[in-house]
Amino acid sequence: MPDTQPPGGQVTGSAPPGGSAAGDGDRAADRLLAEVLRRSGGWPVVYAVTALAGAVVELMLPSALGRAVDVLVSPGAVAGEALLSCVVLVVTVVACDAVAVLAAGAGGAQAARRLRLRVVRHVLAVGPAMSRRLPAGDLVTRLGSNAEEVGAAPEALITAVALLVPAGGSLVALALIDPWLAVAFTAGMALIGVVLRAFLDQTTAVASGYQQAQSDIASRLFDALAGARTIAAAGTEDLETRRVLRPLPRLRACGLALWRVNARAGVRAAIVVPLLECAVIGVGGLRMAAGELSAGELFAAARYAVLGAGIGSALGYLNRLGRARSAARRVQEVLDRPAPGYGGDRLPVGRAGGRLEFRDVTVRVDGTPVLRDIDLVVPGGAAMAVVGRSGSGKSLLAAVAGRLVDPDQGEVLLDGVPLRRLGREELRRAVGYAFERPVLFGGTLAEAITVGRPPDVARTAARAAAADPFIRRLPRSYGTPVDEAPMSGGERQRVGLARAFAHGGRLLVLDDATSSLDTVTEFQVARALTEELRDRTRVIVAHRAATAARADLVVWLDGGRIRGRGRHDVLWRDPGYRAVFQLDGPPGAERG
Amino acid sequence: MTVRGLLWEALRRRPGQLVRLLCWSFAEAAPSFVSGQAIAHALDDGFSAARPLTGLAWLAVLAAAWVAAALGARQVLLALAEIVEPFRDTLLSRVVDGTLHRAAATGARPDSAAVARLNRQVELARDSFGAVIAVLRTFLFSVTGVVLGVLTLMGSVLPLVLLPLVGGLALFLTSLPAMARLQRRLILAEERTSASVAAMVDGLRDVTACGAEERVAGEVGQDVEHQARTGQALARLTAVRMLSLAVGGWLPILMVLAATPDLVRDGATAGIILGTLTYVAQSLTPALGSLVQGAGVNGVRLVVALERILTTSARPPSPSTGSAGTPKGLLLRLRGVSFAYGPDAEPVISGLDLAVRDGDHLAVVGPSGIGKSTLAALAAGMLRPHSGRVLIGGVPVDAVDRAALCRARVLIPQEAYVFRGTLGENLAYLAEDPSPADMDKAAEAVGMTALADRLGGYEAEVDPAGLSSGERQLIALTRAYLSPARLVLLDEATCHLDPAAEARAEEAFAARDGTLIVIAHRLTSALRARRVLVMDGTHARVGTHKEMIGASPLYQDLMGRWEGPAATTP
Repeated sequence: MPDTQPPGGQVTGSAPPGGSAAGDGDRAADRLLAEVLRRSGGWPVVYAVTALAGAVVELMLPSALGRAVDVLVSPGAVAGEALLSCVVLVVTVVACDAVAVLAAGAGGAQAARRLRLRVVRHVLAVGPAMSRRLPAGDLVTRLGSNAEEVGAAPEALITAVALLVPAGGSLVALALIDPWLAVAFTAGMALIGVVLRAFLDQTTAVASGYQQAQSDIASRLFDALAGARTIAAAGTEDLETRRVLRPLPRLRACGLALWRVNARAGVRAAIVVPLLECAVIGVGGLRMAAGELSAGELFAAARYAVLGAGIGSALGYLNRLGRARSAARRVQEVLDRPAPGYGGDRLPVGRAGGRLEFRDVTVRVDGTPVLRDIDLVVPGGAAMAVVGRSGSGKSLLAAVAGRLVDPDQGEVLLDGVPLRRLGREELRRAVGYAFERPVLFGGTLAEAITVGRPPDVARTAARAAAADPFIRRLPRSYGTPVDEAPMSGGERQRVGLARAFAHGGRLLVLDDATSSLDTVTEFQVARALTEELRDRTRVIVAHRAATAARADLVVWLDGGRIRGRGRHDVLWRDPGYRAVFQLDGPPGAERG
Repeated sequence: MTVRGLLWEALRRRPGQLVRLLCWSFAEAAPSFVSGQAIAHALDDGFSAARPLTGLAWLAVLAAAWVAAALGARQVLLALAEIVEPFRDTLLSRVVDGTLHRAAATGARPDSAAVARLNRQVELARDSFGAVIAVLRTFLFSVTGVVLGVLTLMGSVLPLVLLPLVGGLALFLTSLPAMARLQRRLILAEERTSASVAAMVDGLRDVTACGAEERVAGEVGQDVEHQARTGQALARLTAVRMLSLAVGGWLPILMVLAATPDLVRDGATAGIILGTLTYVAQSLTPALGSLVQGAGVNGVRLVVALERILTTSARPPSPSTGSAGTPKGLLLRLRGVSFAYGPDAEPVISGLDLAVRDGDHLAVVGPSGIGKSTLAALAAGMLRPHSGRVLIGGVPVDAVDRAALCRARVLIPQEAYVFRGTLGENLAYLAEDPSPADMDKAAEAVGMTALADRLGGYEAEVDPAGLSSGERQLIALTRAYLSPARLVLLDEATCHLDPAAEARAEEAFAARDGTLIVIAHRLTSALRARRVLVMDGTHARVGTHKEMIGASPLYQDLMGRWEGPAATTP
């Protein structure tokens, strides 16, 4: 196990957001929502105008239809003015709806796009510090569905308002037609609220049983896939399929239970609105019999009852607005992570460079120092091994050496220039990193190695990393797409090494980067490091004594401090130093 | 199997539930038939005729229809569940089956995110299948109910309702192909964006270390832009499609109103007019709306998800299904065997000749990636050589019956497979019902007794994630020891054990009856073997340790380095 590995590890920035975090978060979220609204151009305005206009017209429509009915059923009537006003209103409603749909869709897409691009750039600018703070999956959610929800916030807000207009207006309209209608309606509405609440309570319990069965199948499948070679050799594919699917009956039982809950709630929901309408018509009918209401007015009242029942969906949109706000808060947390700045300085030219210097460097993780007061000089072109037990701060030292992490205190200098003052291009051209588990990106393997360097360096670098022979045996050699290349952990490490060799012009940092290589390959890589790459300064985090023995200088870390430095054979006399290389796994097993 | 075939099969599998679904649909559609009638009678015979009780009675009929509809809706949903849930089970089984077979055949191994994606596709297919059935069914029954209702109210009104509806439907169907194309493009664009964002987040450390921020931002940005453009195009088309709703839903109302004076002259009452309007507003417009909004989106989602599922659930062509029966003897022979992973790739193994006699103990040595595991897979009959032949007991491996082959040889790879289940189930994986005494004997030989005791015996449940790699290897080794196979291939199967435990396990297999081939992780394995095969990329040579020290410079070099003290300066 590597000690504090930069990504996914537990290193955090120095200042956690303090103070009244919740209140600040809400305000920041609202600011982000306001900004999204401001920057989405004209679409939200168009949407607001059309949605509200549409709502008002929709509210006018039932009474216009009712009037038209009253006029037209009277004997000898001609389809005239009353009908015309209906036509005008209908055309307006349809036009408003169409434009509103366009504005909502286009505006939401536009807003989500702007926000996403901004967050992507910011996440890249913050770099590995970001994934230390937030787990990868969480960050993907924030960039994906959260950004989408924030983008849809203007629409949700306007829709909620636009739905409240007919809902509230209907009540007024009912009261205007006849106060008793409004009373019947309000009493019915209270029922709807109770029903919606009961529905929410029941679904969550059943849903979690369903998800449990689902994830049980997924993890069984995942385990079986890890044993694919064993299964292939044993010819037990069908047996395994049955074993993976063993929770299927449980999944189906939970699924059916979920349907039953839905069905029960569906019955109540399906009954409430029509019964509400019947009640309003009943009351209206009695008033009609009493001569207080016309047929057209009764029709209008029935329509208003249905329109008014739409208040349920208005509440749904308010709910969406609440979600958008919490999404905005989650996106804002990403944007709040400070991005490291880069200077414009260049490294001195000429002379064999690569002198690395740590001046009084301290790095804290969650407030506790994990590296303390490191003072260290690695002469240009030297190979330095970093050794120490798990958790002694080796990986963090490696991360600080090439500015994947900034120290909380002190300074790291390359050829006399503080790393913070170097330009980004300049820094990354000078320093190359290789990791225990490298993540490869780029289309093909050649691109994964060069990443912006000229294409011809791929082969040379791969040769030095002992990766050339296996790459040439891949289906499309260097042109093999990264995600189609079947690579073992050791092969992946070698491509990662090649990438480091292609990049670090002055300094190579190898963070446990040869751990999965077998003895023979590790020897080949070690030979490249001591021969072809001898002009570059090398910082090598190592677990094996042989690696330390080959280095010009060994730094022995213990509890975040330098406990010893010098040549391996000198340090070896110290039993404490020797103990670092003893295996501490359970008996019978070498590694966990 | 095609998408259409899958859907057809799903519908046909439960005919009883389909009938139940259709029968209850009549109940659910009751209000779309009753509503206009009830309103018309309530007005004409009741409220307008100064018989309010009759009016209320007709409203009670309407309310009863709604209650029947709600009960019907419940039964419809339950019947739908009985169709959709088995559909999900089928899909999930296909996906698991296909993924496992493909992983076994190709060695390609989806990560946990890919497994989660498969799960999501299945859920998506299930949900949209249910939605499509529900929407189509509601539409058909509502329209039927309305048509019958209007006919019984006043037949001459029907064209005023039906003609615009047909027009609206035609518009909807015309826009459907374009809509489906865009919808599909959007789904794909969303998936691509989230995949590229996930890749970016996973690789943040590496991106920063390479200074590739700009490049990656550009690449992710392209996907984001593409998704936004597609989303906007879809919004435009959706807006245009609103027209079909306007024509099908609103036009009937206006046409009925315009015709009202004529209808009244022909004897229509206020009740009949209101009843017709109720049919349109209450049943027809909502049904058309959910068809237009629901069928397109869900239909495309269903098809896209099913296409994905069909690709992942396709089984690869199954490997050897020879019928030459059981091989006679154990002599393993490779004759001029060559193998490459692709047309542009250099061969991993070329022209290899090798004979391993029954009872032999061979160690294979060479740098990683040189083809040792490929050799093991070829010898075990899991890969086919591009040229040359592999024979077991004189029979070509691809001609041997697969079950017989699996009984004849066992291959244990580096990544030991332990599954959730009891320790006993794990150990008995390759054997036919071994007795506890057999298990004890095997565990003792391989060196797993202490682990078995710690886990709580053979009946104890094991959680693979709670075991170290070394412990998993011990279980896999004991399992291989218990198998009836007499040819054992250990492909770095002891690499996570410490040297002493590795020696014990290897010696146990060497003492076991049969042949042992060890792909060596440590060079000590070579010292224990009777013969050594050294692969250095160009040649493969076989001989005893002594012979190889003399014959192979690589072997000599390796042994020299390995035997030298690692702890001192070279």
